Amino acid sequence: MTAPILELDNVSKTFGTGDDVVQAAQSISFGVTKGECLAIVGESGSGKSTVANMILGIYPPTSGEIHLNGSVLPSRRQLAHRRAIQLVQQNPLSSLNPKRSIGASLRLALDVHEIGAKNERADLVSALLEEVGLPADYAKRSPTALSGGQRQRVAIARALACQSQLVVLDEPTSALDVLVQARVLKLLNQLRETRNLTFVFITHDLSVVRNIASRIAVFERGRMIELGDTSTLFSNPAHPYTRRLISAVPVVTDEEAALRSALAAGLEDTN
Amino acid sequence: MKRTLAILTANPLSLLGLVLVFVVVFSAVFADFIAPFPEHAGAVVDFANFNQPPQWPYIFGTDLVGRDLFTRVIYAYRISLILGIVVLAIAVPIGVSIGLVAGYLGGRTEYVLMRLTDVFLSVPPLVLAMSIMGVLKPTLANGMLAVTVMWWPWYTRLVYNITRGEKEEGYVLAAEVIGASRLHIIFREILPNCVPAIVTKMTLDMGFVILIASSLSFLGLGVQPPTPDLGSMVADGAKYLPDSWWLTIFPGLAILVAVFGFNLIGDALRDILGAEQ
Amino acid sequence: MSIPTLDIQDLKLGFKGYTGYAEVLHGISLSVAPGERVALVGESGSGKSVTARIVLGLLQELRTARISGSVRFEGKELDRLTKRERHALRGRAMSMIFQDPTSSLNPVFRIGEQFHDVLRRADAKITREAALERAASILAEVSVRDADRVLNAFPFQLSGGLNQRVMIAMALANEPALLIADEPGTALDVTVQAQTLQLMRKLVEEHHTAVLFISHNLGVVREFADRVYVIYKGRIVEQGPTRAVFEGPRHPYTRALMAAVPRLTGGGIPDIEENSPDFGAPIEIHPDEVQT
Repeated sequence: MTAPILELDNVSKTFGTGDDVVQAAQSISFGVTKGECLAIVGESGSGKSTVANMILGIYPPTSGEIHLNGSVLPSRRQLAHRRAIQLVQQNPLSSLNPKRSIGASLRLALDVHEIGAKNERADLVSALLEEVGLPADYAKRSPTALSGGQRQRVAIARALACQSQLVVLDEPTSALDVLVQARVLKLLNQLRETRNLTFVFITHDLSVVRNIASRIAVFERGRMIELGDTSTLFSNPAHPYTRRLISAVPVVTDEEAALRSALAAGLEDTN
Repeated sequence: MKRTLAILTANPLSLLGLVLVFVVVFSAVFADFIAPFPEHAGAVVDFANFNQPPQWPYIFGTDLVGRDLFTRVIYAYRISLILGIVVLAIAVPIGVSIGLVAGYLGGRTEYVLMRLTDVFLSVPPLVLAMSIMGVLKPTLANGMLAVTVMWWPWYTRLVYNITRGEKEEGYVLAAEVIGASRLHIIFREILPNCVPAIVTKMTLDMGFVILIASSLSFLGLGVQPPTPDLGSMVADGAKYLPDSWWLTIFPGLAILVAVFGFNLIGDALRDILGAEQ
Repeated sequence: MSIPTLDIQDLKLGFKGYTGYAEVLHGISLSVAPGERVALVGESGSGKSVTARIVLGLLQELRTARISGSVRFEGKELDRLTKRERHALRGRAMSMIFQDPTSSLNPVFRIGEQFHDVLRRADAKITREAALERAASILAEVSVRDADRVLNAFPFQLSGGLNQRVMIAMALANEPALLIADEPGTALDVTVQAQTLQLMRKLVEEHHTAVLFISHNLGVVREFADRVYVIYKGRIVEQGPTRAVFEGPRHPYTRALMAAVPRLTGGGIPDIEENSPDFGAPIEIHPDEVQT
């Protein structure tokens, strides 16, 4: 068992003051092992985005510590911390600046972290585009000329540009069409292997998670209520909420419908 | 750019705007070649031909000291355009930078900068310019200064509002997560997204700056004689209405043409670039 | 055979823009029988939402839109109706549910007032009291227990799921013959979405309302619709009873689409091309189930 690359130790986050306090995340502790894909699943208000934002250092936790490779992450992140954890956002329409070329958006990461010599960076951009399955000459294009799936590939390339080990994927395919989603998920899987990446996959989509995650953490109202291996969690969920969540997923085959009703039946037993 | 131009020429109203603005800019730039009596732009007296109604070779008539009005209108355009360009060249960078910084940084910086802007916005523009001109000597340079001081806050407001929206866009978050500097995020990421709105407002404002400058000189606070200025020409001529109507009508129409032309283009740009106001 | 509630024949739609003419619907035909739940399923840009907009008469008023073909509502050609008649149809004989319930309700009026407005479209003389009473009874049908509180509330004071139920109740308040639902519940959480769909299904069944259900979500369609039309790039590529289409998709595009949906039972991410020349193959029509 290797040491976790990322570890949350009793992390909490409250927003607001006085009477208007919202407990967005309460005493969250988990570790992410190098090379795994840990999914954080929950509905709106579950705290999954809060946790993602704290990992990314968008805001610090109210209490608790986040460790990266064994050392505590400060509330004011330095460049090296930024470089170590990257993000792929949900909406590829907004995550790329419409007024800057694809190449400029990719190059930013290289410039900020001084990756490669200045005259090599254009080649690095081409290599990144090719790595995510896009032609190198897309560097000159505007994001508005690309389809949703292509933009999401660019966003993935940007996360790779920093050469980080850990990538937070925040609903990376929920804005995409189902055929495009399949291609992008395939690409993510493949990059995780070739680059030995670690993923924290934030999503509400249990069907996707079933097929990509190694472990799943289920969140409800700011608490982590269950954490387990993907296959265990789907065959024998411990928490009734997990059962409810799985049995609400719209499915396309009878086989899935059977799994769902089996879990729903279990739900009635526990009530 | 090509597409914008194609759309501008396809719409009759914006085409008219383009033609009007072209006429104004062309006369201002080539005044020395177009004006029949270039020397009449200065202090020339020709009592033999004073206060003549429109007739050849004085197609707009002559003023009270016998100068060709057409010549003076053309040179007044030159002054107006220079004034407009200088005012915007100073007011826009200042206003835009303050708006960007206040909108992106938020917090106390935003509070201080935006309240300062509000102070300027709360004084009616003409009153502010008049008081500045009242204190300082009424010269062209001071006129520009006065108009500039009252103009930048509008750009601050505009850009501040856009920035507050853009700040929430994913590309800003992406740049922050990468670790890009605030300077980069403000000027390289957010600013380009404000440009359409800024350009639109600048086009509209060229007309308004000319109008305000004319109003100031109409009140005797702007450009001083013998420099030709549309506002003072209207003001001087107004005393001799309705008998010497050409003294007022032609400079007045000239103001209308310039303001109307810039406004038509500005409106069309707003539609094409989808800029917010 | 009764007259279909909605009958679309060879509908074409194009837009004239600065860059020229672009056709987005290349002649689609579909019909919805009284009380039938029909889904039009497709990805973004397939033309499913514009089809709904044409049925509602919202695109006809657009100057750049070029529409041909026939859209009949209860046997009446929509094209022949005046703008006023079309407007009268909306909200009475035909109503709509949108994707995001909270933003489709007017934020500055109480729910009760909005119900009153809706009911007034069918009965101009209805009193406020009668309207609220009717509203309370239909809210009860969508399992809203404390109708008084809801009717007195502003939309932002209610949860997304509750707003969605209010939307459904409002859409059905005037007993429309046809309900057009454009991606209902997509903006909601899965658990709430599942409940809402169940409620909607129960309600349209009881009221015998025909539904045209627009969605990109195959799972939701499978659970809701009697019959399915699959639309791809402005053409219907496959149609038939829901079971037949889901159990034996025939068109290459439908097959790809079905295969691409990640399964709750696992099996990994399928390896499917986003695009294939086969997707342009002619339409596949499954026979209707024999009616008894």
